[in-house]
Amino acid sequence: MLEEPYRWVEAINNRREYLEDQLSAGSPVVGMTYAGGVLLLTTTPGPRKLFEIYNEIAFAAVGHPADIEKLRKAVIDIAHIEGFNLSARDVTLQRLVSFGIGPLMKAAFDEIFRSPFIARVMMAELDPVEGGDVFYTIDADGSFAQGGRVAAISGSEKSARAMTAKLGEVDGALPLQEALGAALQVWGLGRLVLDSEEGQEPSESDVREFLKDGLQGLKVEAAVLDRERSVKSKFNLLTEDELPLAAYIGA
Amino acid sequence: MESCDFLGLLKEGGHLSAAPGMVQEGLLEQVEGTTIMAVRYADGVLVAGDRRATMGNLVVYDRADKVLSIDDDTVMAIAGSPSVAYDIARMLEMSVQYYRRSQLQRLSLDGKLRTLSRLLRQNLPMAIQGIGAVVPIYAAYDQDAGESKIFFYDLLGAEFECVDFCTTGSGSNIIRGALYYQNRWGTPLAEMAEEQAVETVLKMLETAAEYDTATGGFRETARIFPQIMKVTAAGLNKVSEDEMAALYEKA
Repeated sequence: MLEEPYRWVEAINNRREYLEDQLSAGSPVVGMTYAGGVLLLTTTPGPRKLFEIYNEIAFAAVGHPADIEKLRKAVIDIAHIEGFNLSARDVTLQRLVSFGIGPLMKAAFDEIFRSPFIARVMMAELDPVEGGDVFYTIDADGSFAQGGRVAAISGSEKSARAMTAKLGEVDGALPLQEALGAALQVWGLGRLVLDSEEGQEPSESDVREFLKDGLQGLKVEAAVLDRERSVKSKFNLLTEDELPLAAYIGA
Repeated sequence: MESCDFLGLLKEGGHLSAAPGMVQEGLLEQVEGTTIMAVRYADGVLVAGDRRATMGNLVVYDRADKVLSIDDDTVMAIAGSPSVAYDIARMLEMSVQYYRRSQLQRLSLDGKLRTLSRLLRQNLPMAIQGIGAVVPIYAAYDQDAGESKIFFYDLLGAEFECVDFCTTGSGSNIIRGALYYQNRWGTPLAEMAEEQAVETVLKMLETAAEYDTATGGFRETARIFPQIMKVTAAGLNKVSEDEMAALYEKA
């Protein structure tokens, strides 16, 4: 039946709906620059969501944990083989996305008899000098976009859009602690929009109210690509001591 | 389970260069000859090497780096064929990184030692043909034991732990006796503070250079200094050229 073009389009549409539904519970991920480099922030009920891929490249995703693991492993493999055959400087985010993870997710999405990757991915690359930090987001169908100095992924398109708009208002060179506070507010906004698909966009005070008790049972996870780190690997997953949550929530 | 083995990944993708089938003896004169050493002193371990690379009776290069950092707390010093040694160091470094990123935990010291052993064993066909033998010294700060350790390897990849000092390379036999003498009847190496230990190492390297043509000495006019790396609880730190210059002036 799939030889008929109409059926094929229908199957692909069903797949999109299925993915939207599967991804809708995903906790948003915020990506932004700060004074020292790149900051990623999200929340999780347990499993880690922010990862190191290469010296200056980080990875985050919403979706099915097993699919996220597969994608993460695939990108790590590509990056390390490239780094081994050429040099660390040749492992760039642009190449990893355009020739690696993008086509990989697209291929899985198109194979309608097999399961697609249930995941939306955000990747970030630190510019060792300054000013050239890069974000990419990759959707479950393999389409990717470069996000300038900010990026957001979430369970729904609407939530991610609201977050990106909010991030546009944030100063891209805040000190780390302030940047963490701002990122948490943006996360709260994304979460609220996700939970209330209909109606008006929540106000800043709504977000503040929500954050006071909306984080129960969740762990805030934040990681940086820190330009000042003296070792080759710039990735650093922040510890709980480095995340004084009460200060950001204003509780 | 997904593989966490970088060497396996390289092999699978055909990224490893195959060992030559047969090399006739005498066709290739190999670059070798050196003195590398490691000693335990009060704060940890010093790993040192001269800078000369030779081929037969020719000096090929006078600024070779033979003390190579593998990660934040391990260092490898190499004697033997530089081409193979640099490759082994690179594969080891990438294996450790790859493991940490893909498995989300650090590779244990035992795991690193085993990987190096496998790499040396893999190189056996080359070593037997007399063109690619590598005999490394490996020093690391053992996080679990809370102390710095020294290991050396034979051509086949067997690993041995040294208690107070070890040396390899063409100049090693010249200073083994001197080190034993120092340790037995002078101030024991393990009781030396950093400055005294560095001074002893510099004296040993000069002694080796005096009697072994393949070991390079300190050349003030060209500002060619040996390499010395400290392996302590604080990680890896180089002994700077200025520090060495001051010690040479004193001596």
